[in-house]
Amino acid sequence: MSRARRIRPVGKPDEAEMLRILRAPHITEKATLISEHNQVTFKVAIDATKPGIAAAVEHLFKVKVKAVNTIRMDGKVKRFKGIIGRRNDWKKAMVTLEDGHSIDVTTGIPAR
Amino acid sequence: MYATFPEGLEEQPMQVTETLNDGLKRSYDCVIAATIVSEKVDAKLTGLAPTVNLPGFRPGKAPLKILRQRFGQSVMGELLDEMLRDGIQKIMDDRGLRAAGQPQMDMAEEYKPGGDFSFSLKIDLLPDFEPADFSTIEIEKLEPDVPDSEVNEALDRMAEGQREQVEVTEARPAANDDVVVIDFEGSIDGELFPGGAAEDYELTLGSGQFIPGFEEQLVGLSVGDEKTVTVNFPDDYGADHLAGKEASFKVNLKTLKTLAPAEVNDALAERMGAENVDELRTKMRETMEQQYGEVGRNRIKRDLFDKLDELHTFPLPENLVAQEFEGIWSELQKQLEGENAEEAREGKTDEELREEYQKVASRRVRLGLLLSEVGRRNSIEVSSEDLQAAIARQTAQFPGQEEFVQKYYLENPEALSQLHAPLLEDKVVDYILELAKVNVRKVPPAELLADPDAENAEAGAESSGG
Repeated sequence: MSRARRIRPVGKPDEAEMLRILRAPHITEKATLISEHNQVTFKVAIDATKPGIAAAVEHLFKVKVKAVNTIRMDGKVKRFKGIIGRRNDWKKAMVTLEDGHSIDVTTGIPAR
Repeated sequence: MYATFPEGLEEQPMQVTETLNDGLKRSYDCVIAATIVSEKVDAKLTGLAPTVNLPGFRPGKAPLKILRQRFGQSVMGELLDEMLRDGIQKIMDDRGLRAAGQPQMDMAEEYKPGGDFSFSLKIDLLPDFEPADFSTIEIEKLEPDVPDSEVNEALDRMAEGQREQVEVTEARPAANDDVVVIDFEGSIDGELFPGGAAEDYELTLGSGQFIPGFEEQLVGLSVGDEKTVTVNFPDDYGADHLAGKEASFKVNLKTLKTLAPAEVNDALAERMGAENVDELRTKMRETMEQQYGEVGRNRIKRDLFDKLDELHTFPLPENLVAQEFEGIWSELQKQLEGENAEEAREGKTDEELREEYQKVASRRVRLGLLLSEVGRRNSIEVSSEDLQAAIARQTAQFPGQEEFVQKYYLENPEALSQLHAPLLEDKVVDYILELAKVNVRKVPPAELLADPDAENAEAGAESSGG
């Protein structure tokens, strides 16, 4: 089912790349639940790597990242007037922070 | 889940310091602690939570933290308003204050989320005073004594207005004020022009209805006469192609009518909706007495107000006086800029006017307070029947639109309250007049009408001199 994958960028991302990687905070009931365990959830670029995500979060939010888990979310199949369409696949990243670090996702990226 | 309010804090959530206590003026500084503010916000959000629908959450399941982020700002605004209102209410209730007009509040600075909420309050109090003993007031009530001659005059005037046109049977030339029935045909340079002819046209001579010179030239004509009238259209005549031209009209005088002499008789009475002359006379007398009665009523009211104003010297809330003064003053400014500026100014400087109207404002406020206090103490109230009657009176002034007027009052409470005030004033005045010693004096209408003016001049002189 999974579609052809793009070649992943390698090496440490620069700042523009970091901003491309982290697309948006993912705020849902489930995300709120796991925030109890100091985990923050993001929507990230489909071709982002775990090290890339970790680097981006560390740099942009000035925190220490313990671990990153990712999952490819298949886009939903939607019908409109009988025509079948498909939403884009996307990647979700659950970022575990080191103890004592936290991110207030809703306030956005702090000014640098 | 629900935070219980710490005892005591809930009891005294607001720190109030009195900063001014001078006469009728009070000022307060109030502080509501940050913790209480945020507690209230949370309480409000918790109440809101079950109804909120956010993407990513099942309906009503969004956590408080997210809600605070999303709605905190608007809830806070609402809450501040609420706290301000409640705070004012509480300050007044706790201290048993009665405010005159709206309390003035000031937020010292923009509220910062997470900080203490502080505001200051300025209140003008209603004065506490004892209305004077009204039974000591002695007042003269003027009642109109309408003489027959005046009634007859009025009837004559009425007849005058109701004169009928009758055909003149005798052969005589047309005079001014006669009505002539004419055919006419107008031409310029021998050419007929459109709109210049008519048949059986009724023209009152001397009414100035036609172009100048036309009517005058018809005077002296008899029935059956024909005459060619030559007139010049004025230069500023409405129709461009005619303006300034000389035109000649061939006129044929067909009938001559004149107004019947004014006569008070049964026929007139019948036309006016009465059975006969006697009934018409009685009716006329009644309406006149009623009209004069109103004048008399206004007079006694003014006299009474003068007396009441003298009798009471309680302090007045400054804000009410200022407000009243602003109203009068802006009204006056309009007059001063208008056409009758000189008249309105009466040759006074701004300062003099200011002083004069300041006094007027004070008097109005004093009387207003007094009347409402008397009304309150004696539980004089405007009943719904009174209101209904007042609405009916208003309705009668707009024949043909009764339904609309009725609806207007039903749907506009403000309009109703506008009716309310004068009604209450009237009732209180009646109440005071009942207590006061009233001497009734019958006077001819002329005196009733003449007096207020003299009084006026006197009052004006009094207030500007004093």
